[in-house]
Amino acid sequence: MNPTEMDWEKLSEILAQHQGKKWGLIPLLQEVQEGFGFIPPESIESIAETLNLYPSQVQGVITFYAGFSSEPKGKCVLKVCRGTACHVKGGKSVLRLIQKNLDLKEGETSPDYQFTLETAACLGACFLAPAMMVDREYYGKLNPIKVTSILGEYRKEKGED
Amino acid sequence: METITLTINGKRVSCLEGKSILEAAEAHGIKIPKLCYHHSLKPFGACRLCLVEDEKTGRLFASCVTPAAPDMVLLSDSPQVLKHRRNIISLMMAEHPESCIVCNKGNRCQLRMIAAELGIGENHLYPMPNYKPLEQANPFIMRDLSKCILCGKCIRADHELVCAGAIDYNSRGFDSRPATLHELPLEESTCTFCGTCVSLCPTGALSTKTDFAGTPERESNSVCGFCGIGCNLTLGIAGNMIVDVNPAHIENSVNDATLCVRGHFGHDFLNSTQRLTHPLARKEKELVPVSWDNALETTAKKLLEIKDQHGPESIAFLGSSKCSNEENYLFQKIARTIIETNNVDNGGYLSGRLLLDLAEERTDKAGRFNFFAGPLSGLEQAEVIFVLGAEPDQAAPVLDYYLKRSAKKGTPLIVANPKKIGLTTSASCWIHPYGSPKPAQNFFDTFYLELINLISANLLEKNAIDTSFISRFTSGYEEYKSDLLSLDQKTSVEKANLDSRSIKNAAETLTGKKITFVVGDGLMLQRYGKEAMEALLNLALMTGSIGYKGAGFHILSKENNLVGAWDMGTVPGTLPGRLMINNENDRNIWEKAWKSKIPQTKGLDLYQMIKKAEEGSLKAIYIMGENPLRSLPQPNRLLKSFESLEFVVAQDILFNETVNIADVVLPGAPFSEKAGSFTNMEGKIQCFSPALPPPKNAKTDLEILGLVAEKMGAPEYKSNHEDIRKEISNTISAYSETAACKHPIWIREKNQLQDNMAEKQIRFSPVTSSSETVCDDDYPFIALFGSTRFHLGSGTRTGQSERINVFAPQGEIEVSPVDAEKMNLIKDDRIKVTSVTGELERTVKVNSNIRSGYIHIPTAYNHNDARCLIQLVPLLDADSSGWDSCRVTVEKV
Repeated sequence: MNPTEMDWEKLSEILAQHQGKKWGLIPLLQEVQEGFGFIPPESIESIAETLNLYPSQVQGVITFYAGFSSEPKGKCVLKVCRGTACHVKGGKSVLRLIQKNLDLKEGETSPDYQFTLETAACLGACFLAPAMMVDREYYGKLNPIKVTSILGEYRKEKGED
Repeated sequence: METITLTINGKRVSCLEGKSILEAAEAHGIKIPKLCYHHSLKPFGACRLCLVEDEKTGRLFASCVTPAAPDMVLLSDSPQVLKHRRNIISLMMAEHPESCIVCNKGNRCQLRMIAAELGIGENHLYPMPNYKPLEQANPFIMRDLSKCILCGKCIRADHELVCAGAIDYNSRGFDSRPATLHELPLEESTCTFCGTCVSLCPTGALSTKTDFAGTPERESNSVCGFCGIGCNLTLGIAGNMIVDVNPAHIENSVNDATLCVRGHFGHDFLNSTQRLTHPLARKEKELVPVSWDNALETTAKKLLEIKDQHGPESIAFLGSSKCSNEENYLFQKIARTIIETNNVDNGGYLSGRLLLDLAEERTDKAGRFNFFAGPLSGLEQAEVIFVLGAEPDQAAPVLDYYLKRSAKKGTPLIVANPKKIGLTTSASCWIHPYGSPKPAQNFFDTFYLELINLISANLLEKNAIDTSFISRFTSGYEEYKSDLLSLDQKTSVEKANLDSRSIKNAAETLTGKKITFVVGDGLMLQRYGKEAMEALLNLALMTGSIGYKGAGFHILSKENNLVGAWDMGTVPGTLPGRLMINNENDRNIWEKAWKSKIPQTKGLDLYQMIKKAEEGSLKAIYIMGENPLRSLPQPNRLLKSFESLEFVVAQDILFNETVNIADVVLPGAPFSEKAGSFTNMEGKIQCFSPALPPPKNAKTDLEILGLVAEKMGAPEYKSNHEDIRKEISNTISAYSETAACKHPIWIREKNQLQDNMAEKQIRFSPVTSSSETVCDDDYPFIALFGSTRFHLGSGTRTGQSERINVFAPQGEIEVSPVDAEKMNLIKDDRIKVTSVTGELERTVKVNSNIRSGYIHIPTAYNHNDARCLIQLVPLLDADSSGWDSCRVTVEKV
């Protein structure tokens, strides 16, 4: 995968289903994000044209929601919980461990676009503290061994590609 | 709607249901501070300063977004309200940078004003300035977003009023700010630099980039002197300079809170070093300063001498579509009664004034306004809008805002233009010629005429006609109908290279609706402009789109007083009030008023004047406020013809090409330095007063004309604008209210055809079709000429603005990507364009909006060299090739 190259065909497929729909911006953006892993900035103008909006408006919505990203993200997005319960149970060490393991800082994406490291204010899974998410999977009661093995799993997946 | 009553600060106030508390309060003189509210924008509720307290419950409301309800009891400055207001302002001030104290917005800053009113000085909050980079790369607008309070006025003005969509909020919380797409600088966004946001910004976040520092000493309202929209301006004055121009924010003004880049930033010519400040006369081939007495004496003596020697027909008068009604009136009165010639015209000749005549000819005098759609605000109620040959986003941006707003509300919009103009993205249908022009065939000529014929035929086939209108108000319909039904549609489609689908599409959109037409130079100055206009009038009659609210014609006029100059009789065939020269009764009216004879035959129009000069029978010309040597085609030919004249008087404000060859130069005054009135393209008369006196020895044009008349032995012509207004209003009924001119006056507010004109019969004209034009194979390209929003007309005035010259210095020729590839052209390559009459060299820009086989040449740049390509031929003539396009060759240099 090379997310820096724009797949216009894929975009127009998504856009075709949303042509001229009212109130369709957020679902459309979600679909684009789903399809590309992020919202490519060069797609903004086509999205705006599809829904008869100004491009600046579309960009405004993208930059408003933390859930939308206009930068390419890794195949696996890690969200480490910074909530109180996780903090008490050593969440900070989990984050440090992952940072060291992947050589990434918070908010960064690995050069091979395999991992993106993010943190969340609270994942709402306090009973599993310390917790993190990889894409849509929850991982709880983390310890260094578990973290290493989870990261290993997701690296392996890459190897299989 | 019902009226409701409520109590604010113990005062009983009433308002209509649905009004906000703020509106109700303001209507009754109760002041509530606010930063994000503006009456032209939808309420937003962002700044929370307009809080009011419900006395019964103690609840706080943001009054701008809370509807007034019956029996509310509210307090606008209770201790609780004041506490909250102070808190809000304190927080804003804590975020404000230290540079506030030297901010150019100074005492006009609304944040500072409200802070001062609330007594907020030291606010004991930890300062947390939100530094953002300062953007000042463009020459018009300075953006210092660290002073932004996020009121959203700029964003809402951009979206709701101007419809440019250049900016919106980006990000969230402390990081949020108005931003362009990809956060590029403004000049790389869709921003048109209309400056509307700058005028609305309550703080120093957006300001005009200017050398002037501080607050203008005083302000004066005026009317913009550029295009035919007639925007209301507020001029900021410091010393003897106009330092600041803003929209006047007068309710119900045509522009409301908007302006365009010319209106906002292009008035630099008022302070130009090229201003004429002293009368000049030619002594041994050089123009040298002379006294007023000397200049006037020479003018009067010489003109009378030539009249005696060669007869009155040897003198011509070129009045101005930029000068006031009063000046034009006196100007033509001098020509007609002292010199006794009808050789009077004005610069409106270049802007399709002839076609206005044509439209008027169809109806009689009483019905003269029936074809016109009236106020531009009607566009927002239009059923369908049809824009032909106009590029409003460049020629008259404020009209473009109206059209875009209307399209946004869902009004169907049809655009017919060979070029993809700014408006096409808002249009439901765009009609353009397909393919590239074939050699030896000039189908572009025939484009408008054929498409109008085809659409009319389509509508007729669908029986989409207004039968009751046709039978009540028109004549000649049966012939028209049979003509149209026998139209060979296939040939028509081929002739103009049209796509029959887009014609069908347009006809479908028009079916069953009253049409509002917007017609521009692209149609009017074409070879078949006259026929196309006739066909369009027929279409309007057939669909009953006349005398109906919002429907009818808007003729895009590029000059601020085109209509006024016409009304004042600065034209060869009509007297003031549009009374006909060749009608004895009409003539008698003015002969009685002026106690003088008026020559009976129609005079020379602008083209004929030049022709007669070339032939040697015209000896002198008096030019007021026009620069024909820059604005007319074939400048070299023109220069020769003007040089052959015995005597040329130029009365102007700037040293320009025409002044340069004049024998006597009389320095006049622009709109900001005199009193008068303009009549805009809607037909609204707007009066203005001077903001400043004319510089040094310059005089107002009315005074100059009076003095010239006095020297010619008619001292009674010397008068001020009020006396002239009285004289005008005594005889011209449409202008009868101008004498007591306080507010704008409508001369054609609402078309009353349906009720008042039951007897009127407007005739259909026969259907004409274009003939195949064979053109020279040697010139494979069609050059289209068009103005840009940075310059008006030939650019005599806007060219004096340094910031406009810095921002848009070149006027690149636009070519299609296909042709660019063929000729191996990339951006900034130089090309040479040659036509039958001349050639020019410019840099090139590849634009995908241009169709292959066409090039687009912006006018006004490089001393308006584009006109050297155009042939000086009479407009509306059967063999005329028009002034808006021509055949050319293109080669890379």
